[in-house]
Amino acid sequence: MTRKKLFYMMVLICGVLTACTKTTLKQSTTEDVNIVGYLRQHPDSFSLFEKVLVRAGYSDYLNAYGAYTCFVPTNSAVQLWLTKIKAGNVEAADINTLQDMVKFHLLNDTLTTASFKDGKLPVPTMYGQFLVTGVASGERGSSYLINRQGAVTRSNVKVGNGLIHVIDQVLEPAKQSIAEELAAKSDFSIFVEAMKATGYYDLLNRVDPDTAKRWMTVIAESNKTLADSGIFSFADLKARYSHTGNPAGANDSLHMYMAYHILGGIKFLGDIINSPSHQTLQPQEVISTQLINQEVVVNENVFNGVLEKGMTIDRVASDNAATNGVWHSIEGHYQVKYRKPTAVFWDVATFEEILKLPATYRKASKDFTRQSEADQPFKDITWGWGALAGTNVLTYYYAPTVSIGMYCNYQDAIKMPLGLPNRPTYLELRTPPIIKGKYKIWICYSARNQSTSSQQLCEVYVNGTLMPRTFNFVVKRPTGTAAELEAIGYKQYTENTASQMVGRLVGTYEFTTTDRQIIRINPINGTQNDNYLDMIHFIPVDDNQVFPRFKPDGTQIFQ
Amino acid sequence: MKQLLIYISMFLTLAGAASCNKWLELKPNDGLVREDFWKTKEQVSAAVTGIYASMLGSVSGKTLAMPEYLFVWGEARADMVTPGFSVKPDETDIINMNILPTNSFANWRTFYETINYCNTVIKLAPNVLNQDNTFTQDMLNRALGEALTIRALMYFYLVRTFDQVPLKLEPTVSDNDLSSMAKSPSEAILNQIVADLRAAENFLPESYGNSAVDRGRATRYTASTILADTYLWMEKYTECAAQCDKVINSGRYGLIGQENSLFNALFWQGNAVESIFELQFDAQKLNPFFNMFAANSRRWGAASHLMEEVYGVDAVNTIPLKDSRGDGMALRAEDATIWKYIGANDAGTALRTADQSYAHWIFYRYADILLMKAEAINQLDQPLEASRLVKTIRERATALDFGDAMDSTSKSSMEEFILQEREREFAFEGKRWYDLVRNAKRNNYAGIRYLLNSAAKSIAPDMQQSAFGKLRDRNSLFMPIFLYELQTNKLLVQNPFYK
Repeated sequence: MTRKKLFYMMVLICGVLTACTKTTLKQSTTEDVNIVGYLRQHPDSFSLFEKVLVRAGYSDYLNAYGAYTCFVPTNSAVQLWLTKIKAGNVEAADINTLQDMVKFHLLNDTLTTASFKDGKLPVPTMYGQFLVTGVASGERGSSYLINRQGAVTRSNVKVGNGLIHVIDQVLEPAKQSIAEELAAKSDFSIFVEAMKATGYYDLLNRVDPDTAKRWMTVIAESNKTLADSGIFSFADLKARYSHTGNPAGANDSLHMYMAYHILGGIKFLGDIINSPSHQTLQPQEVISTQLINQEVVVNENVFNGVLEKGMTIDRVASDNAATNGVWHSIEGHYQVKYRKPTAVFWDVATFEEILKLPATYRKASKDFTRQSEADQPFKDITWGWGALAGTNVLTYYYAPTVSIGMYCNYQDAIKMPLGLPNRPTYLELRTPPIIKGKYKIWICYSARNQSTSSQQLCEVYVNGTLMPRTFNFVVKRPTGTAAELEAIGYKQYTENTASQMVGRLVGTYEFTTTDRQIIRINPINGTQNDNYLDMIHFIPVDDNQVFPRFKPDGTQIFQ
Repeated sequence: MKQLLIYISMFLTLAGAASCNKWLELKPNDGLVREDFWKTKEQVSAAVTGIYASMLGSVSGKTLAMPEYLFVWGEARADMVTPGFSVKPDETDIINMNILPTNSFANWRTFYETINYCNTVIKLAPNVLNQDNTFTQDMLNRALGEALTIRALMYFYLVRTFDQVPLKLEPTVSDNDLSSMAKSPSEAILNQIVADLRAAENFLPESYGNSAVDRGRATRYTASTILADTYLWMEKYTECAAQCDKVINSGRYGLIGQENSLFNALFWQGNAVESIFELQFDAQKLNPFFNMFAANSRRWGAASHLMEEVYGVDAVNTIPLKDSRGDGMALRAEDATIWKYIGANDAGTALRTADQSYAHWIFYRYADILLMKAEAINQLDQPLEASRLVKTIRERATALDFGDAMDSTSKSSMEEFILQEREREFAFEGKRWYDLVRNAKRNNYAGIRYLLNSAAKSIAPDMQQSAFGKLRDRNSLFMPIFLYELQTNKLLVQNPFYK
């Protein structure tokens, strides 16, 4: 019996013993380290920066969940920086300085080197200022340069809570405002004096706590730039522009000169070239910018067929970050230009894409088909996608022998199906540059019914503003003298007197900036394919609205 | 009783042993093993065909088809293409010189798959001589020649794209063959390519007796052509010119005449007399280009400056003269569609349908031989002779004279002109980037301006300055090693530019 008991006991003990074998459960879902963990794994390179993080009180925060980009300076870089701020070691350094230093190396997003552009990173550092990126190439190859200070020696290290880029120098934020930075440069003394005289110095010296208002961009003219235009001192500049004698007044031309050189927002060159025009502090005045042969050129425009040469921004001396923005140096002197409003007789059938087809342009008709809503074959023309895919065709229409086209300016027009439910829902065109001012807007078309019952009533939006009058692509010009017609908003815009050639006044609009404008034609009643748009006239309100008229060969008739 | 037990157990053992036969069998039921293959000449022939098949599409299905890499590697970093609306983020990064080691186009796997097929044939085919008496030495030579030629072609692409890659010359036929391999220097790879192609030239026939087969399989002149291109890359100009002469003197190839439609002959029909080696897609094996170039899913289009600055437009004549390689051949000017692979006529009016997407990928054609020779002899200080070759090409294409005229007295201006002529002639054939790099690297990167000018045209304006800085580092001209390869092959060292 006892033996049997003993046997059971042993079985039980065996069972218990085996059951007790402890299986180690994995508690973590990943073995990826976080930013601080990575630094601790590589004390040879990063022990000092890790100490800075601990002392600044950020190490726990950077070792938790998140999505950061951290520019990590190596030990030698931190050591150099400590010497520079006159601290023997991390413990001796001022804690606020350390905190600012860490904040300037930290971004609240994950940015790989693929998003490094010629200019600022898309998000600011936690310090508040933006970092500027670029590429420097030296004997040891090319590497990314951050803030023109530290070169990236190891990039895109992926850690649990973000990305690390290793840099060989500590980044230091700008300490001065735009005004102070310019004032510190003797090359810009005339420009700075003008800033002071016009009262803009204080504006450019202030760091607004509201980040929406803080940032500004200044395009500064150096003394050399001004000297090239015959201005050798502030007195010369004042003599040339300050016609009221009080540069601080908003109506003074020197005041305007200064306002015209300041843009709202923080715009590095990479941002400047990404937009064709920028609003300046001078109300309703924009500068146009473009990239020509790798140079950033300001205000190079064609007005009425005349090319006005622009000014080049000096890339090397530009992209200077300050506490409240950025400033650039330009190699040419420029000032707001007063331009008299001038009529633009816009031939809509001359667009960039057709100009590339010399076998077709003014020689034959051509269909341009959009294959899908996302497909945008034109630079300056678009339309609301028509539900019936096959109606999304813009035709360059050339017809020297057919009555629809033969009287048109250059015997061509664009033909565009419009109207709900199946055809495109609107047609939008970007005009050539129009000088700011008040204009009457005439839609000039060749009237045509696709079938006898067709209607195509349209309204016109200019820069988003609805024009008071509508027009109808099927309605012909009423009879009457030129004056009678003008009174009811019609004109004969061609040499030929056929009533199908209709100029229709849709309204008066004041363009507030000299720029390329947006015209949108919105069908509101009826639908058809045969809408032939030939021209759009923008004629200053005080000018003759009826003449010139246009011959089929494009010449203008003035009486 | 005891005896009975013995009998029963003996019977069971016997029965057991007999039934064990099947499950002790290690051969797979659904495939062939090496010991059963490599027995007959038909099997060798099938293995060689497999090499070509592997270039038409990815075998594993895990990577893209080879022509897609060839196009992206050869065009994306240069100035002839522009991204369409459905371009992949990885492709945008390549355009802007922002290639990361995680970029899927840095994956060389497709090429090594084909190389492995070549290596397998080279290693195992010779033994078939002992197995199949009808398999002759000539047949073996042909198989070896084809495998060597294709392997050389693959390494030539790899060395131009990555600079240094592992030079694997042995097949991976079992898990025992898996091992880490370090990169070989580019000189060693180029020397291997030359040695392989020289051997292949002797092994391969001049022709297979069928014009279409001659364009789809490697012939002696395929090897000579690749060798010419390799010599040109290695800056061995005398050798390059000699290789070109071999092909020219063969009398087997010629330019499509002016009277015929270039587009029709080369890309719509394929296998033209001008073609030397091409990938022959057909209705059963489509190329990957339809979705890449078609308007409603476009990833790549033609760059906007091509008509005005590259081919030229004639605004003077009533019926405008045009370069027959431009509108209606390389591209459709009105909407910048890359026309060579998806067009169906040279009027630019009809497109291929999705199931007709089998335009061949042309590796080399006769025009390439003429222009390679021109480039080589120009470097040998014979610009006048070079200009004659270029003129032949221009006349057959009715090229327009505009911009700087060809100056046949100056070597440097001929160098630039030949590069431009190659741009016109081989638009979208996956050659532009390599042409730019080859001309840029000559004389210790004296021609770096070719690359910078190209970057100025194609790279987003807000990234150009960075790109210029990167291009000055010669390591940036080569792709990074794909991250997966770095993780699995510990002997690989990343290109230092991608630190």
